[in-house]
Amino acid sequence: MDEIIVLEQVNKFYGDEVVVQVLFDIDLSIKSGQFTAFIGPSGSGKSTLLNIIGLLEAPTSGKVSLDGQDISGLNKGEQASYRNEKIGFIFQFHYLLPEFTALENILIPHWIGKGKPPQEIVGRAMYLMERIGIEQYGGKYPHQLSGGQQQRVAIARSLINQPKIIFADEPTGNLDSKTSGMVMELLKEIVRENKTNLVMVTHDRDIAAGADRVIEIVDGRINCDFTAGRMGREKVRQELEHMACTFSSADDA
Amino acid sequence: MRFNTYEFMIAYRFLLNGRSQTVLIILGIAVGVAVQVFLISLMDGLQRNLIQRTIGSSPHITIAPPLSAPQPLGIGGGVIDDYQKPLKTEESEILSWQRYGEHLAGIKEITVAAPMVNGNGYIEKGRSSFPVIIKGITLPEADVIYKLKKNLVNGDLRPGGNNVLIGVASSEKSGLQTGDTFYLRNQKGTGDYFIIQGIFDLGASAANNMVVMSLDRARTFLDITGISAIEIQVHDVFAADGLAKELGENFGQVKAESWQERNKELLSGLRAQDTSSAMIQFFVLLSITLGIASVLAIIAIQKSRQLGILKAMGTNDKSAARIFIIQGFSMGFAGALVGILLGLGLTELFMFGTKSSGGPTYELKITLTNILLPAVLAAASASVAAFVPARRAAGLNPMEVIRNG
Repeated sequence: MDEIIVLEQVNKFYGDEVVVQVLFDIDLSIKSGQFTAFIGPSGSGKSTLLNIIGLLEAPTSGKVSLDGQDISGLNKGEQASYRNEKIGFIFQFHYLLPEFTALENILIPHWIGKGKPPQEIVGRAMYLMERIGIEQYGGKYPHQLSGGQQQRVAIARSLINQPKIIFADEPTGNLDSKTSGMVMELLKEIVRENKTNLVMVTHDRDIAAGADRVIEIVDGRINCDFTAGRMGREKVRQELEHMACTFSSADDA
Repeated sequence: MRFNTYEFMIAYRFLLNGRSQTVLIILGIAVGVAVQVFLISLMDGLQRNLIQRTIGSSPHITIAPPLSAPQPLGIGGGVIDDYQKPLKTEESEILSWQRYGEHLAGIKEITVAAPMVNGNGYIEKGRSSFPVIIKGITLPEADVIYKLKKNLVNGDLRPGGNNVLIGVASSEKSGLQTGDTFYLRNQKGTGDYFIIQGIFDLGASAANNMVVMSLDRARTFLDITGISAIEIQVHDVFAADGLAKELGENFGQVKAESWQERNKELLSGLRAQDTSSAMIQFFVLLSITLGIASVLAIIAIQKSRQLGILKAMGTNDKSAARIFIIQGFSMGFAGALVGILLGLGLTELFMFGTKSSGGPTYELKITLTNILLPAVLAAASASVAAFVPARRAAGLNPMEVIRNG
């Protein structure tokens, strides 16, 4: 499958009495095997776009296809199982379940979709933990872990069901820069290893510069769209430097 | 509704996580259930005790001739109609009582059916006369109903010929003792001498004004060809009403009256008691339901972040709702179990207390229904209460949580 994500004429409106349009006729297609970063100021609609692609929100109009399947017509229950099977989520605030240990947190997506995980899946969880260097924390509860460790658990959790796409919304948003860099490297490596696609919303210029493709959303429209392969990473970095105002306003949020 | 194992796992983790909350609500349910178990057992025991005292030593069903004038009996075609006459024979006494007896003997619910002869008379002593009820009985049937042997003050239970038993009230009024001979007059003015064989105390003043003799002697003494009534006791006193109706319909010419008909006031009193205890139970249940609903609503809010995550990861709305139903039911179930134990403890303690203090001893009735009914109701209302937060959980949009951190 060449194109993993295809959006056609996607519009999103909010509100009943005061109607606000958040996304305007978005057309977008993302190739398989890429790391795509969405950037843009707060309120630009980038998170809404990501949520629509991630089946967390429905577009008001337009068509969304993931992995060749039109997902616009799915009902809520079908969306939930689609999310469970095909999509892995990593959020800014880690969002581990505090009632469960790290290992249990990693296994929960499997548990939701297919019931009690067999030994094979537990083995996969152990492998993922080892791969991202948290194998000794499997029995610990989230509050016993540092932010970076928690985010690594979240990464392992997003991968347990071998999803087609990983959505990461500011995954390093509340990590210090050193930990942030480590987590990002790990994320990219493991995404590559697992042959999955990474779609990320970020405020971080350095992180965006590391993406294969950077899409800037401003006021609900695609403002800029660079592909690193074509332009070279340095050029992307330079372009991103010019968007400093965008980033600073985003950082204030 | 298909439950998934992870729903249970998450529900129990949520409950374990909010341990003090969970323990408090389980205790709340337990106290409610305990109160109900105790209350129902107490009421039940009290009622049974009261009924036992009222009708334990009296017939549950009395088959007697109708008091009103009998209706003409249709015996055939129009020609004979002119000759129809009131059926006098069954008017004031039961003639064909052996036939009824045979029929009654075949009914399983009946413990005993005893033929009786009743009449009024006077004990004559010197210039005074004391009104008494004359009762002719057969043994051992009558003893099953009246428990004469058990309630003999002195003498023994061998009525026959002119040997009779008299009630303790008659004995006190007339000053007659066991072994004395006295003159008994019937309503027609004739009389005979009788010998007192024993004195009984049945606890009720009407019963203690009786002169008890053998059925045959009473029939000749009162000049009755048949008998006055057939008195019946049954296994289940509450079934007496229905059985009486059935018998009345079967027999036609005689009427069958149950103790319920004769004790309407007692019954309406008991019913009022039932109503008030049902109301107490209702309000206890209501408070359990509200308590669980509010605690679960709080848990649903506390856990909305977790629910958002779970939903993002593929938990559907029904599943999210079930997580709360499971929590509600589990708390209800645990509370009911603890409540049963507490209630039984309370009941035992009460019985021990009343016994050791020498107070009125009536057995509290602990039946399976008395225990299970409040427990099942509590568990059910806990599950119902869980629907409120369950709906909230189902309606939660994962985005709200993820956006707002």
